[in-house]
Amino acid sequence: MSTHTPNLSPANSNAALRSVEGIARVVRIEGDQAWLEPEQTTSCGHCASSASCGVSSREEAGIGTVTSRLQARRFHLDNPAGISGFREGERLVVGVSERALLNAALTAYGLPLLFALVAGGLTQAAYGEDLTTMLGMSGGLALGLLAARLNARRLAARGDLAPRFLRRARPDETCGTV
Amino acid sequence: MKEFALMMIGAALVNNVILARFLGLCSFMGVTTRVDTAAGMGLATTFVITVSSMADWAVQTYLLDAYGLGFLRTVTFILIIASAVQFTEMTIKKVSPTLFQMLGIYLPLITTNCAVLGVALLLVEGRMGFLSATMFAFASSVGYSLVMIIFAGLRERLVLADVPRLFAGPPIAFIVAGMLAMAFMGFSGIATS
Repeated sequence: MSTHTPNLSPANSNAALRSVEGIARVVRIEGDQAWLEPEQTTSCGHCASSASCGVSSREEAGIGTVTSRLQARRFHLDNPAGISGFREGERLVVGVSERALLNAALTAYGLPLLFALVAGGLTQAAYGEDLTTMLGMSGGLALGLLAARLNARRLAARGDLAPRFLRRARPDETCGTV
Repeated sequence: MKEFALMMIGAALVNNVILARFLGLCSFMGVTTRVDTAAGMGLATTFVITVSSMADWAVQTYLLDAYGLGFLRTVTFILIIASAVQFTEMTIKKVSPTLFQMLGIYLPLITTNCAVLGVALLLVEGRMGFLSATMFAFASSVGYSLVMIIFAGLRERLVLADVPRLFAGPPIAFIVAGMLAMAFMGFSGIATS
């Protein structure tokens, strides 16, 4: 583990104050992009030492395994501070703002639900039959998912959902202690 | 309309899933260390409960009741809930990979949340129409989210409080949960569901 700690910009320091933090491991470096894989909290709460408790995050990837789930959640940092110092296997503390998390949850879950319930209510008022209401609500849900997709694209384009590099993780730091 | 509103208030506050029916206690204690994670979990659970209740109602009405297969209810509902979680996960991943990276962590936890199955079984007992059943499930899950967020806020404050060593951690959290349940008993005069 490198002891070099890059200087945090004011933006990063500000993000550190009001952000949801987690530990991710650098799994690949491609040019000016670092690919990271989030560490998984296991039942024992010590992701970094999980290999010793039988819930290893280094098991073989397969359908439904912890490893496959982690691989599906890989993300990259665009040109983070001091990327030239990053090495594969290094553990970093990354964060997203609390507002971004709430916006993401409202977009992914709130918007489709709102569309579904409004569509269901309108269909029930218009026809008064369970089967028609069910079809109307399903249509509203599909429409809501489409709206969520558009809004998520807008948020991603603004960079609101991008995780930020905060600092390098201490050797004894686990996802349960961040 | 009035009955509808009273039913929803009853489901969310009077017969709260967590504090009155004691369902979903594992996530109540496990995911309430921070308000933002509690809100994320609450919204994800609200979505899954509402969507799975729609499917549960349809299967119960057009399959289990119609063909006298009521004895398969529990196992069928478990299958529907697992499918709903998988559907949600796949949809979120398709709709926005970024959102999936941020929120995907909560979804597998919902499969084993007994509140989801509990609400589905309550719907069957209630013998409601489709819209009433869906709104009941939505209101129940809103009540679940509300309690999760309130309790997370209290626990964030507890971290800063000078708690005696004997009560630090889960013991004081359980005591606070008990006091919160007593506070919610104050709603019991408002409505019945």
